[in-house]
Amino acid sequence: MDLIIITVLVRILETMFVVGAVGSVVVLVLSGIEDLKLLFGREEQNHS
Amino acid sequence: MSSFGPTSPSNRVRIVVATSVMLTFISYWRAAAIVLNDLASSAFYACGIAEQAVGKSAPWFIVAVMLFSFAVRAVYVESCSMFVRGGVYRVVKEALGGTLAKLSVSALMFDYILTGPISGVSAGQYIVGLINESFVTADVHGWIPRAVHNLFNGTPHLNVNLTSVVFALAVTIYYWWENTKGIQESSEKALRVMQITTVMVVILLAWSALTLFKAGYNPVPLPTPQNLHFSKESLGFLRHSFPEQSLARMFGVLGILIAFGHSVLAMSGEESLAQVNRELAHPKLKNLKKAAIVIAIYSFVFTGLSALLSVMLIPDAVRVPVYKDNLISGLAMYMWGPLILRLIFRAFVVVVGFLILSGAVNTAIIGSNGVLNRISEDGVLADWFRFPHRKYGTSSRIINMVVLLQILTILASRGDVYVLGEAYAFGVIWSFTFNSLSMLVLRFKYRGERGWKVPPNLTIAGTEIPIGLISVMLVLLSTALVNLATKSVATVAGVSFSVVFFVIFTVSEHVNRKKHALAKEHMKDHFQLLQRDTVDRGSLGIRPGNVLVPVRDYNTLNHLRWVLEHNDTREQDVVVMTARISQFGTAAYGLSSEQIFSDYEQTLFTRAVSVAESVGKRISLLVVPARDPWSAIAQTAHNLESSAVAAGISSKMSAAEQAFALGSAWEAIPEPKKQFVLQIVKPEGIVDTFRIGPHTPTMKNEDVALLHRLWLNVTREPGLENVHHHDILTEALTRFAHDYGSRDHENIVKELRRHGAEGGPLPIRRIADQIPTVQPGPTRSDRDNGPHSSEE
Repeated sequence: MDLIIITVLVRILETMFVVGAVGSVVVLVLSGIEDLKLLFGREEQNHS
Repeated sequence: MSSFGPTSPSNRVRIVVATSVMLTFISYWRAAAIVLNDLASSAFYACGIAEQAVGKSAPWFIVAVMLFSFAVRAVYVESCSMFVRGGVYRVVKEALGGTLAKLSVSALMFDYILTGPISGVSAGQYIVGLINESFVTADVHGWIPRAVHNLFNGTPHLNVNLTSVVFALAVTIYYWWENTKGIQESSEKALRVMQITTVMVVILLAWSALTLFKAGYNPVPLPTPQNLHFSKESLGFLRHSFPEQSLARMFGVLGILIAFGHSVLAMSGEESLAQVNRELAHPKLKNLKKAAIVIAIYSFVFTGLSALLSVMLIPDAVRVPVYKDNLISGLAMYMWGPLILRLIFRAFVVVVGFLILSGAVNTAIIGSNGVLNRISEDGVLADWFRFPHRKYGTSSRIINMVVLLQILTILASRGDVYVLGEAYAFGVIWSFTFNSLSMLVLRFKYRGERGWKVPPNLTIAGTEIPIGLISVMLVLLSTALVNLATKSVATVAGVSFSVVFFVIFTVSEHVNRKKHALAKEHMKDHFQLLQRDTVDRGSLGIRPGNVLVPVRDYNTLNHLRWVLEHNDTREQDVVVMTARISQFGTAAYGLSSEQIFSDYEQTLFTRAVSVAESVGKRISLLVVPARDPWSAIAQTAHNLESSAVAAGISSKMSAAEQAFALGSAWEAIPEPKKQFVLQIVKPEGIVDTFRIGPHTPTMKNEDVALLHRLWLNVTREPGLENVHHHDILTEALTRFAHDYGSRDHENIVKELRRHGAEGGPLPIRRIADQIPTVQPGPTRSDRDNGPHSSEE
């Protein structure tokens, strides 16, 4: 019984971690693209 | 002016409370340097700790943590875009309420308390490692005298852990005293340390690449469950329930999660990003993002790559047994090349390690002092703790408590970096988790616009789902929960510490509530607080040309009395100002007017009002939060268009030093700005006067005489009859500027230094004696009648 509870808890933790890790990779890629644009993108010029 | 009997609301003394901290804004490079001083210090110990816990594939987990820190950084950028004065306390309180905010701050305090000891002990490990290695090398060459050899029964050797403890204690005590005196955290110093560190990192990476090419490398096992080798300690509470290696087989992903949890301290220091946000120059969000990119890339390259290289280059036989607590030193010793070069580089690594790790000890004291001050201001820690030091005006009681806890931690650890690192991770992971959880809650609680959002975000049926934020929070929460089970030392120590602090906060809050209610009532009777975002004349109702009187200690208000006795306040307004000093980073925490105008300020202004009443003159009262008192005074004088600042003599600076400090702060104010006079009033009533900003200097008699003699000689030259004294000065200064800027720079600096050190005359005095006095000729201008100062 204890092992079943532990197994369920562990699986929940594992799922949280895996889902979170996959999502974090997406965060990393999207924010990385933004970062590259910020670093190497051309500054907008103000024309009056 | 009100007296303190029963008072009608209209008679209450008006106090303007500025709520914006007076800051000197910094570039994103400097902001990145400040954060990296904390974040990059973990590169010196994180991989060693992780490898002891999970085995040889630890560097991959360090790299994973560093990549994940890019995502955590995104959460902090969003949090900072919402709260300019961010910080865990503010964010959690806003999202989850006061109770969880107190709990999160308890975890953050645990993080700060542990940062000092782990950094100090780690620096000690690097230094002792170098000393012992030097002894071995010297012994091999027969440079150790026989008597010394006999004394140690062999090669001289220092006990590594014991000596590290002594070193950590010495560094902690040194910074305790510096903080008690009130040193300023300097972004300039942080930038210098990071520049030196960058030189080391570049050499390290280039030399490692050469070594990989010349001498080959050991492969780093991939981070698969089969390659994880947990030590008994690294399984914590699970070690009793599961045989050592069965976990990885039973729960493959869990093994990876446990290993990730043991590596998470590599990104400790990321939270400093929220603290420097307030100080960032315009455009704030853009600069914050740039700083965050620099921080993420730098820490990935340094911490991540040095972890991989240490396993690739240091042989297994010595890596953990010999170099576990000073891996970068080990890396230096296993580079390709002659021993002497490797030893020199190792010494350089130790110097850099000392700079960055001892800096982290200081940051830990400053950070925890800031957090406890903030908690105390919120009424959840007794005011007793915030009582200023009699001489230095710092919150020495809080500093004492923090340092005492750090000293106890150092002694309890017995110099074991692994134990300290395991415990440290508790504070790190839980403060990140609280922050990300709060940001997630705030997405639903406050649906308004933000400066930036963690991507991606999906909108389904009009409801925005923050996929990115949920993902980061899930990783942090799962890691924090697993660490509770696998880091028994951290769990016991961290939970005990957090619970004790939480209870102290809760009880203090309860006790203080009644007292504060009374104090608030008293304050409402006598003072009317006017909250203003910035300081200007309009809010105080004063005229230009006023006198600004900074006050700090209510026992030393002689200078205020002097000002009131020597000024007619009907003609010239007098503004009494106190700067509420927050240490570096504490500007991150939001301050309400009640927090800025606390019991202490109330007592201080009550005394100031008493002085004004005794003289029978009117004063205006002002409180400004600031990080640096001199910047606060200079900026306030600038904003109020004051013609004079009258200050008391400092207990730790001379009048000239005070003038120099204020002058330096004035220089940092952007143009246009006006000069003003600084009067330093000594207790005996003697006043030293200085002009702040560009002004005509006061010339000594001999300088005036010299100028006059030169002028007499020059005007005798044909065609120069109409030259004036100021023309001579213009020519002399132009020549000086030319020489200083080019050929004679060194000599001029040397001469001025010598003059400063000796306090003696400059050679010009001797030159003056050699110039004959020429009697004025008939062509002398009537306007230049006898020696006079160029001021005329």
